[in-house]
Amino acid sequence: MSKAEIKSNKMLNATMGLKNIMGRHFLAIEQAYRDGKPTAWATSGSPVEILYAMDVQPMLPENSATVSAAQKYSQNFIEMAEEEGYSYDLCSYFKTNVGAVKSEADMIKGGTRKPTFMLSTDVICDTHVNWFQVQAERFNVPHFTIDVPHVVSNTNQRQYNYFKKYVVEQLYEFLDFIQEVTGHEYDEERARQITQNSWDLSMVWQDIYELRKVVPCPISTRDTFGGLFPLFTMPGLKEPIRLYKKMYKEAKARVDNGIGALEQENFRLMFEGIPFWYNLKYFGTLERWGAIIVYEPYTYAFSKYMNPNVTKEMVLNQPIEAMAELMLSFWYIYDFETRVKKFEETVRDWKIDGVLLHNNMSCRPNSCGLYDLKRKLMDEADIPCLIIDADMNDPRKLNETQVTNQIESFIEILRQRKKK
Amino acid sequence: MKKIGIFDSGVETPEEIILAAGLIPYRLFGDPTIEPDKANEHIPPTHCVWTRNLLEKAIKGLDEDIIGIIGTHGCDRTNREFDIWLECLNFDFMFFLNSPRKRDESALKFFIDDMKELITQLEDHFNVKITTEKLRESIKKMNNIRSLLKEISEFRKKMILKGSEFHALVKLAQQQDKDEVVKILESKLEEFKTRNPFLDTNIKKVILTGSDIDDTEFIKYLEELGFHIIIDDLGVGTKYFWDLIDENEEPIVALAKYHLNKPIHSTKFPSYERFEVIKKLAEIYEVDGIINIAQKFCEPILYDHPYMNKMFKNLEIPYLFVEVTYNRESYKQLSTRFSAFAEII
Repeated sequence: MSKAEIKSNKMLNATMGLKNIMGRHFLAIEQAYRDGKPTAWATSGSPVEILYAMDVQPMLPENSATVSAAQKYSQNFIEMAEEEGYSYDLCSYFKTNVGAVKSEADMIKGGTRKPTFMLSTDVICDTHVNWFQVQAERFNVPHFTIDVPHVVSNTNQRQYNYFKKYVVEQLYEFLDFIQEVTGHEYDEERARQITQNSWDLSMVWQDIYELRKVVPCPISTRDTFGGLFPLFTMPGLKEPIRLYKKMYKEAKARVDNGIGALEQENFRLMFEGIPFWYNLKYFGTLERWGAIIVYEPYTYAFSKYMNPNVTKEMVLNQPIEAMAELMLSFWYIYDFETRVKKFEETVRDWKIDGVLLHNNMSCRPNSCGLYDLKRKLMDEADIPCLIIDADMNDPRKLNETQVTNQIESFIEILRQRKKK
Repeated sequence: MKKIGIFDSGVETPEEIILAAGLIPYRLFGDPTIEPDKANEHIPPTHCVWTRNLLEKAIKGLDEDIIGIIGTHGCDRTNREFDIWLECLNFDFMFFLNSPRKRDESALKFFIDDMKELITQLEDHFNVKITTEKLRESIKKMNNIRSLLKEISEFRKKMILKGSEFHALVKLAQQQDKDEVVKILESKLEEFKTRNPFLDTNIKKVILTGSDIDDTEFIKYLEELGFHIIIDDLGVGTKYFWDLIDENEEPIVALAKYHLNKPIHSTKFPSYERFEVIKKLAEIYEVDGIINIAQKFCEPILYDHPYMNKMFKNLEIPYLFVEVTYNRESYKQLSTRFSAFAEII
């Protein structure tokens, strides 16, 4: 690729292929219905690989909810759920899904189909289980939930071991459940292929993140916010690996030629939390100050193989045990002590000037601890932080002007620091 | 005697283990007359107001006899806020008990493991030995308290005991020395046996359910509006004493089975089974209606409410759902809704 062809300030060409990949995912769902193949809803953080390994087509309602938001339907769906009695204060993904189901929305509007069964876990939040309980009752389909113990700052290794034992046992029960509901048997060889693909997909994503350490950063959230979807909808398939490799290659070419995603990179930021899916273009606002987000724990978290105890060998040979371990050590739900440590390392390694913390009114597990995280980072590591109040899927909860004013002042602080 | 503070949005903490360690289990309650100013520096204001209130009290200083804290999995709040408690408080002993979400065989085995770990940590930290014998003794003691509370609870049905008075007794049982509790309950039981029923033909008999309610003044407030809490489905209520623990089984196994088999809390799975629990109580106690209270931002209750509403509507049992802010001043604003419900039923 010649230097003239490599342009900054725009999405990677390869990322444009994301639309096709996700389109194929939705087509696969439609095809599964036509073929009478079993389907399952799964919450994020669930072992979707098991579904693929047992020839069950997964559907991720959270992914669909983001589609609704991007297409500007989420508020309408949320209000429909509220009319049904679901509180203004409940998760906006959940309410988007309730409204989408109620109105029988098409997939392009974030609709979902009645599944053969549902799989939930409380890896990320307890309310995932409540959500699927609501919808399993509505559709009258079986619902399996995996209870994942919560690792806190003072959990010891002995505890961790029996936590893992509990999750492993449930995963084996889940295999039995699938067999009972669908008649499909667990095939170890197929599971190995799926986990190999899942591993490869995550590794390329992590490689892309490595490139983001470079100054100027070759890619922005234009590539990563949407780019993460294959990680949790299609872990185990080959197609997204090819897409990620293309993204990597293009980003690497930018790095090799000293080209950043922004023409002028002044400030490198980290964004904690889920983005405002209904207003992704808002993140482009940062560019007016030459600010770029170079790391998001949320999008990185789904390339889940980052626990050093989970080796490739373990993933391939003991996939169930590996999945249990990963469910207990997911970046997005780290205990507070680990979270602070991980933030400090990330700020250092990705050369971050400041951290934006999204106090997401819909995701209380994630927003819990933000105030202390901010205090720790600022007081103990001298890392500037800003908390923004908004919501991932409910546009009513974002005050754009207020947030912009806050960010503008924050950028000014970063500018002053750079002058010192 | 020293105490262990319990941070639990349900009543899933095995108090018997704490008793067997020679300590007093002391469930932490909030104070609806204070604002969570200090807690708000740690937890966003759009999170559960009750747990923020508990943190506020803990930051300001708990009972000086409290020498450790057990946080127990109830909802996302206890899960995530435990780490904040670790940050804010200065106790050498702090343990998070992962009371399981599910109630099957695997969950039972896991809960047994987690309780064994609690025992190990208590023994190591306080240099005590929690023997099987001591556990059996404490199970017996707690069963006695449960039996007494269940017997006393029935005086609500006989229209002898007001819900608020009973609520205060359950609170007391969750905080005081258990030997003292037994004495108080026995004496109260004798007193209630000789007390005359109150006669009020207009009184509305209701079952109270929802988020755990620890403010007895709220129950009194409902009584002033013409309700009688003839039965409840609360942690500061029937969930604390409804069933007994098998005294013949191995103690840890019996404790785990007890917690996994008792009337389900909205924080456990499948929480919709709570409907069956409430329905059964409504039938036995011939209630005029059901009042379901959600503390502001209490997600488990908020998720279940539309299902409860639908199911009770199908049964034609009057049902009122109200979101409450944990602040006594705010109760008054709800009087119109409660009064209208009292009129309807």
